[in-house]
Amino acid sequence: MSYYFAIIGTQDNPLFEYEFGTSKQGGDGMARFTEQARQLNQFIIHSSLDIVEEVQWTNGQMYLKLVDRFFTSYISCFLTASNIKFLLLHQPPSSSSSSALPHPSSSASTSTPSLVSSSQSSTSVIPSLSTLTGGSNSSTSTLTGGTSRTSTSIAANPTSPQTEEAIRNFFAEVYENYVKAIMSPFYRTNMEIRSPVFRARVAAAGRKYL
Amino acid sequence: MQSANNAPPPNDPLASLPMANPTMKPLPSKQRGQPLVLDSRSHSQPAAQPTTPVRERRTNPSAASLFRSTLTPPGSRSGSPAPMGSPARSLTGSVFGSGGFKQSLLDTAAAENPGDPLNLILKSFVPHIAIHDSEDVEHLVKEKGFKGGLFELLRPFGERVQGRVTIRDSNGASRTWDDFSVRFTRFGEAVEDPDTLPDPRSLRGPPPNGQPQYNMPRKKTSLVQQVEQVVEKHLGFAEEASMGAATPTTPTRQGLDTDTTSPYYALYLRRLLSGIPMASHETFSHPVACVIAISSRHPAPIEALRQLYSETTPAEQRIPPWVDGDFLRYYVLVHDEERSDITKSMQLFDQMKRHFGLHCHLLRIRSSQAAETDDDSIPLPRSDWMSASEELADIERSEQLQDSFDDDPHLFNRYIFESDATAIRTFIREMVIQSIIPTMERNVSLWNDQVASRRRGISGRFMSLSKRFTVFGSSSSSSRSSTSSSNNGFETLGYYRPDTPEAIMRRLADFAFMLRDWKLAMSTYDLLRTDFQNDKAWKYHASANEMAALSLLIMPQTMSSKNRVEIINPMVEQALYSYHTRCSSLYGAVRSTLLSLELLRLRGGIGIDESVRWGTRLLEMRLFGPVGDALLRERLAVCYASKRGTGSQLWGSRRRKSAMWSVLAAQAWVSMGKYLQAQKCLADARRMYSLLPSEWGVQGFNGASECLAGLNEAVREGLRVTREYAEALEAEGGHSQGGGTREGEEGEGLGLGLQFDESSNLTIRPKADNQAAAAAAATDHNNNAQTEVDVDVDVEQSGFNGQSSQLPSRPPQIPTPTASSKSPTPETTRGGDEQPEGFEDATPTTSGPSSGHSPTRPRKASMAVRTSRVLSSADLEPAAPLPPLIPARLASTSGRDENKSKDGKDGGFG
Repeated sequence: MSYYFAIIGTQDNPLFEYEFGTSKQGGDGMARFTEQARQLNQFIIHSSLDIVEEVQWTNGQMYLKLVDRFFTSYISCFLTASNIKFLLLHQPPSSSSSSALPHPSSSASTSTPSLVSSSQSSTSVIPSLSTLTGGSNSSTSTLTGGTSRTSTSIAANPTSPQTEEAIRNFFAEVYENYVKAIMSPFYRTNMEIRSPVFRARVAAAGRKYL
Repeated sequence: MQSANNAPPPNDPLASLPMANPTMKPLPSKQRGQPLVLDSRSHSQPAAQPTTPVRERRTNPSAASLFRSTLTPPGSRSGSPAPMGSPARSLTGSVFGSGGFKQSLLDTAAAENPGDPLNLILKSFVPHIAIHDSEDVEHLVKEKGFKGGLFELLRPFGERVQGRVTIRDSNGASRTWDDFSVRFTRFGEAVEDPDTLPDPRSLRGPPPNGQPQYNMPRKKTSLVQQVEQVVEKHLGFAEEASMGAATPTTPTRQGLDTDTTSPYYALYLRRLLSGIPMASHETFSHPVACVIAISSRHPAPIEALRQLYSETTPAEQRIPPWVDGDFLRYYVLVHDEERSDITKSMQLFDQMKRHFGLHCHLLRIRSSQAAETDDDSIPLPRSDWMSASEELADIERSEQLQDSFDDDPHLFNRYIFESDATAIRTFIREMVIQSIIPTMERNVSLWNDQVASRRRGISGRFMSLSKRFTVFGSSSSSSRSSTSSSNNGFETLGYYRPDTPEAIMRRLADFAFMLRDWKLAMSTYDLLRTDFQNDKAWKYHASANEMAALSLLIMPQTMSSKNRVEIINPMVEQALYSYHTRCSSLYGAVRSTLLSLELLRLRGGIGIDESVRWGTRLLEMRLFGPVGDALLRERLAVCYASKRGTGSQLWGSRRRKSAMWSVLAAQAWVSMGKYLQAQKCLADARRMYSLLPSEWGVQGFNGASECLAGLNEAVREGLRVTREYAEALEAEGGHSQGGGTREGEEGEGLGLGLQFDESSNLTIRPKADNQAAAAAAATDHNNNAQTEVDVDVDVEQSGFNGQSSQLPSRPPQIPTPTASSKSPTPETTRGGDEQPEGFEDATPTTSGPSSGHSPTRPRKASMAVRTSRVLSSADLEPAAPLPPLIPARLASTSGRDENKSKDGKDGGFG
């Protein structure tokens, strides 16, 4: 499972971005996004703000749980005061190296029927797609190591209650640290958070819960 | 491909424009640029002869007529159709309730609104009328210049039955429709093999007779592929045609204007729907009636009619056994006005009426060929509903013609006499109103009373239950009652015989659907769904589900949107699953899902999310080729854009989503080398981002803005490459071929090309004088037409390519990947909190007054590449090998850029 965590300001501007992988079950804590996926993730996060803005009025909680899904990317949201949002994009491990962006160039064969019967089983389609797109991906980042990884229970099914709970804990801890970070007298609204301490603490929370 | 090696056309729009006098060829490019600017500007006005320049711009006008459906951009019509915020599309989704929506559609669509999917659906599931004519009729029509016989002559007129048509529904209430249409087919053609059915006996191809046959696809998969090919041809044509014109695709005003459809998507849908093969599991393309025609020249007319009649009976086996042979026969006597004696024909006609009853008509047409120059000749409209394979054949034929320089304008622009057209219109109207619709109504009420209502009642339910149990029991022979259908023969034959209750009910439902009695159709489909499921007739099951979902979506609604979605979703799901997984019918899967998507979208509200869900589902299943894939992405952007928000902040709208899908679509187009479409999608995305309340768009994100910039660059690069290639081509062949005109054009192209290079650079440049002049010349257009072109151009220019106004604090900008602006952008763009004010200028809200000074530049850019119209898209692909997401140059430097931007941020905030 790869995660992309972003804190979004009131002007849709990212205040903090952090990518990490799962540390459970022998994970090395590295994200496995390709360069393309990394760009796409930002689009996804940004676009799911639409959903967040709708859901936030129907839900009294700060933790909005899973708000959106884009192919195999799942987005959970946590609202803070002053309209700052925490968004966490998580991808199941099977497509961790995929950009999840279907490239038409690699879709020459339209006649391969893929047996997708429900939305949950869509992960079985995307891997084949991801291998295709991964092949055409020119940028070989160091982060995209080819090691296939075993899936934890959290990572395997992003919609399960365990995952929900783990993300809740993660968000809670990040929120605590976030509040402390923005209590700095030099911080103004919508300013980027560059505190290395905060980053380390987010990383620690990620290691701890996800 | 299309126009390679062709001499410049005499009717080039440049020559037809007043300012571009052909004698002024050696003028500097500045002044020559002006008329084009004017031209394309006036194009954006609804009233100013919107389509002709585009068409004439083609090197070959006859070929252009082939592509008319996409060349006339809906944007040019969008001035008159329902405006953006038409109340019919409000969040409440009462789109169909009062009929006002359709009404408005048809008012505006005097010349068939090409785009709207609802309109397409209404006009695609229409009664099909087979035409079976004798040889002398074909001969007569051939003399008129129509090789395809009476079918070819009648077909365009069936697409819009003149006048209003009143239809009575099952409750006896009548409703009047303006846009009723019928579809003509050749008798016994376009038969689809029930390929998934087990019994080989049921496999019967098109009847082996002497009739000319179109090579209809045997498998439905190839139908979808053909549709894609057609759309791709259109795209390629537009790419060539508008290389500089900037008209058909580049202007993006219709982009996310949700009331008009992208011409290519509309074409895709139309072609998907136009060639509905005659299949066993749905009866839409089964003949409702058959026109049996002889001409007045025939020596033994009555005998000929009898002969023709007997050929249409099932005994002749020209139609597959699952088609009900009991359709209406309509006898037509084609009278040759010029050679035959009318009194004799009248006598014959009276005789016909005595023999065959009332379903007769005397069609009086002239037998000579009409020429364009004749006073009373009108062009025969091209059929909008030709199937994909036919259109492909036409396009290929025109390509061959061009290759051989044998340009025959009569091949595609044919003319008939006004009097003939009137006669045919009258004939069709009379036939539809007096024969076909009453017959259908009678059949509907008959079947409804005799078959369907029995099933609807308690006893019917019991009957079906008992049938089910007997099937589970020993053998099905135990229940042999008349309505019980355990002996319907599906298990042995692989299809339902036309006299089985299932087949009759299916026909009833289809008739009701064609007569727009959605309620009856819906309830009947609903009954059939379970029947077919019990019989495991999966294709029937899928089709019944599909049509049930469609009619439920079209029906006036009483339930809440949530309920509706909950009912409809399983239907679509079943249809998709049965079509795709159980029957591997790609065509059915695509059609059912796409149509549901469209109707859900029209329903608004929660339906839009659902429609996008189906769209992503389709994308996930990868049923499409590249073209369909990109078109669907574009469509999803439109879907999201059509969701209206509430409140001042427009909560609940999906602008960011829409923009993202536009970007994805642009990506797909770029990877296909269709740069014009990509440009359009990018402009859509920009516009959506600029509409956001935050005004930052996605630009706060480094990777995303890099991606956008990369796409931008790829598009520009692609357009530039095509232009250079075209210039090279012209440099080679232009001098030898064209003579004076050619040289003039070439000089212009080169001159503008230089300007293009300059202006396309992503740096801040003051306006050039010629731009000011052009802008001044175009001011009046700007003033009176607050067109969306201006908006788009503004955004396109200032949002991404750099600011034309020199503001002291530059707004946030996409880091641009060119050498000139690579390094410093992040630092300069990431300013402080005052950015939104500065950025105000980049939003289109200010574009109205400010459009005078800016929009010339991109127009010029695209103008510069107009000379590259000789380049085909196929040639283009190897010339611009661009990685799909970002160019290689970008990819290698993106890391650095990111670092730099981080540094920049550090500097800015720390």
